Amino acid sequence: MEQHAPRKVALIANCLLNQNAKVCQGAHYRGVVSPVVEALRTRGYLLQQLPCPELAFAGVRRWWAVYEQYDTPAYRDHCRRLAQAIAPQIEEYLRRGDEVILIGLDGSPSTGVRFTSSQPEWGGRPNRPEDDWEIVPRRGIWIEELEAELARRGLPPLPATGWALDMGRFDEAGSRRDLEEFLDSRDSAAGSPDEDAAAP
Amino acid sequence: MSDDARGWRIALVPDTLINGADPASASLPDVLDALEVSGYGVLQLPPPGEHRLLLAVIADQVAEYAHHGYAVVAIGMHGEVGDGLHWRRLAPLLRHRGVALPPRHILRPDKDAAAERQRLAAFLTGYDLPPEEQRRWRV
Repeated sequence: MEQHAPRKVALIANCLLNQNAKVCQGAHYRGVVSPVVEALRTRGYLLQQLPCPELAFAGVRRWWAVYEQYDTPAYRDHCRRLAQAIAPQIEEYLRRGDEVILIGLDGSPSTGVRFTSSQPEWGGRPNRPEDDWEIVPRRGIWIEELEAELARRGLPPLPATGWALDMGRFDEAGSRRDLEEFLDSRDSAAGSPDEDAAAP
Repeated sequence: MSDDARGWRIALVPDTLINGADPASASLPDVLDALEVSGYGVLQLPPPGEHRLLLAVIADQVAEYAHHGYAVVAIGMHGEVGDGLHWRRLAPLLRHRGVALPPRHILRPDKDAAAERQRLAAFLTGYDLPPEEQRRWRV
C-alpha cells in the first residue's frame, strides 16, 4: 500500500479567499485576506476553501442578518447540502492521516467558530440602529451543520478557530495575533493526539 | 457600498495552482500572490476526481456573481485534465445557469516563469466588465 507523508490542511471560510462573498459593507479586503493566507502558507498548510452558504442561499445583495434569522429548516438543509459537497474531500484528508484544521469567521451568523452574532428581535424592515446585535460564544449555523456532517461520517472534531472579521469593529492586528497563537499552539502540540477543538 | 473594500473581480483557480509545488521553487508564478496584488478573490476548484455536487455549488456561486456585476475569470494549468478547471463538467453547469463562460488564462509550466508571471499579471490587470456594467452595479 502506498504511504503518504501526512500534510497540514486548513479548511478556510470562503470569504478568507474571496471578500466578494461578504454581505454589502462587510468586505475589508479587495479579494484575498492576505494575513490569513500568509500565516497559513508560511506554516506549511495547504488551503481548502469552503463554500459560502449565505451567498448561495440569499445572494450577493442579501441583507445583514443574525444567527436567529438564518436558524431555519430551509437554511440548515442548504448548509447540509453544502457540507455533503465538501465532506468527501475532508474525509479523504483525514483518512490518509493529514492534520486538518478549520478557520472560520468569528461573529458571522453562518461561519462563526468561537463567536456568532445574535439578536432574537431582528426581523421585518431592515432599519435597525448601528451595533444593535450581540456577539455570543457559539458556532454559526454553517459550522454547526458542517461539524454535524463530519460527525455523521464518524470523523473526529477538527481543531478550529475564527478570523475575527465580523465582531463589530475589526481589529486586524488582534485577529492576526489570535490566529498565529492558535497555529503555533498546534505546532507545539504536534504529536499530542489529545489536542481537541477550541471550545466555542 | 462606500465603506466596502471588495474588488468585484474573482478568479476560478485549480487546486494545483493553490496547493501545488512550493511557490518559491516552482517554475510557475505564485498565483495566489498575483491575485492578491491584482485585487481578485478566489474560487478554488477541487483536485481531479468526481466532484459533481461541489462543482454544482461552485457554478451556483459563479452565476450569482456573474448576474450582479462581478467580473469572473478562470486561471488554468496547461497539462492538467481540463486545465485543472473541470471545464468539461463546469462549462455546461454555467451555461445551464445562463452564465457566459469566463475568459480563461492558461499558465504554461514549460515556459519561462518570469514571462508567465508577466503574462498573468497583464491578463488580471486588463480584464474587467465594460464601464457601463460597472456603473450599473458597483455603487
